[in-house]
Amino acid sequence: MTVAEKVAAANEKVMDIMTNGRPVWIDVKPAIEAVPGMEKNLILVPGPTIRPEDLPIPLKTAVSGAAVHDGLAKNIDEAWEMVMRGEIRIAPSQDYNCGNAASSVMSASMPVFVVEDKYSGGRGYCVPHPGSNPRVLRWGIYGDDVEENLSFIRGDYAAVLGEAVRKSGGIDLIRILSKTAGMGDENHNRQPAASMALALELVPWLLDVDHPARDRVIKEIAANDRFFLHVMMAGVEAIMQSAKKVPYSTVMTGMGGNGIEFGIQVAGTGNRWYTTKAPIIKGIFLNPTTTEKDLLGYLGDSCVTEVWGLGGMSAIAGPSYLRMTGGTFRDAKERTEKARQVSLGEHTFAPVPWDDYRGFPVGVDIRKVVGKNVLPISHGGSALKTGGQAGAGAAELPMDCFRKAVEGLACEVKKLEGE
Amino acid sequence: MSDVSKILNLFRSELIVVNVGPRSFAEVLEKQGYEAVQVDWKPAAGGDKKMQELLEYLGGYE
Repeated sequence: MTVAEKVAAANEKVMDIMTNGRPVWIDVKPAIEAVPGMEKNLILVPGPTIRPEDLPIPLKTAVSGAAVHDGLAKNIDEAWEMVMRGEIRIAPSQDYNCGNAASSVMSASMPVFVVEDKYSGGRGYCVPHPGSNPRVLRWGIYGDDVEENLSFIRGDYAAVLGEAVRKSGGIDLIRILSKTAGMGDENHNRQPAASMALALELVPWLLDVDHPARDRVIKEIAANDRFFLHVMMAGVEAIMQSAKKVPYSTVMTGMGGNGIEFGIQVAGTGNRWYTTKAPIIKGIFLNPTTTEKDLLGYLGDSCVTEVWGLGGMSAIAGPSYLRMTGGTFRDAKERTEKARQVSLGEHTFAPVPWDDYRGFPVGVDIRKVVGKNVLPISHGGSALKTGGQAGAGAAELPMDCFRKAVEGLACEVKKLEGE
Repeated sequence: MSDVSKILNLFRSELIVVNVGPRSFAEVLEKQGYEAVQVDWKPAAGGDKKMQELLEYLGGYE
């Protein structure tokens, strides 16, 4: 076989995994028990590899807070000293098939959603979405109130939710996406329909759980219209775990930012990152006094959903997100069309009625991005340099990452070919 | 003497422009009432030869 034929065959295999993937939410467990390679003194952070001293303020706070939460340190100052001494390590979440949205981090004791891809057998993990309170570790804020919520999530919340999910026998995320097709979710930054459909599936099982905190957990889930996002992130990670094991493939399998750098991963080179300066997310601000100077670069792994065709890739499915962030219906259509130009396939499970019943484009081919000079657009929430959410909007994925990925993959293929 | 009737016919007929250059060339004509079709074309990899070679090695991008 020629290199071209091997690349084509590898991409066909990855697209088979991506388009037939069947992510099913099967459990809630502490990260140390669920995530292969997790260690007590390891804290997973969003985005590509970064040195601790280079972490932006919100992630420093989140890492230190998580260390205190896990009992590794008495306070955040002590925790940070331990990080600097190397006694607490940090690593990119996506290298462990995990996703950390915005400034979320994952420590050993935190509960994670366990999602299994029933088609390929891969597993992915994500901490629960903490709710609508703006004071959360997820936005780089830590304090007594944040710790109280983290402790509730690790304790009663995880116990009740875990039992309900296990009783259900697993919740099929494709079914949720199919049922909510045409309900206006783009499923990265907007998912009220999917969150409601998920709650519909969960509540009967939750009502069967005998636990004093059951009603509070039901209230938390029912009131959180972003609950589905973190379950879906684990689902995408489950699919990507299998997709990342296909040599020669030019399909993008990971992406994320740590506020300083943004990176992508490609199936043919596994967990290798191709990075550049993190782009700014442009859109709206929650506070009218915020300016672009206050913004951190792209922060978080939630854009891994886009790797599987959600968010900006399927912007046409959620045009109201465009309206909210300063765009138009036409912009939504253009974003999806751009993604189609550089993608190898299209999902069939959630056709969009106002897009001629077409599905979400999936499987971004780095060759097409570089060759056609067409950049897909990702949706995302923006973070303040000092911590807290700034707003929401969109960012073009940086071309530099794709050019480096083409070089890196070609180099890897040459090695495999003995050249 | 060569036959120039064909080219003269072209100039006498309705002008429809196919523009492969910057979009502003077509927009100027449209403002003057002419029809212009914009061809969305870019050189492969923005004209970067090294990238073109790597893309070719990896099987192209079409």
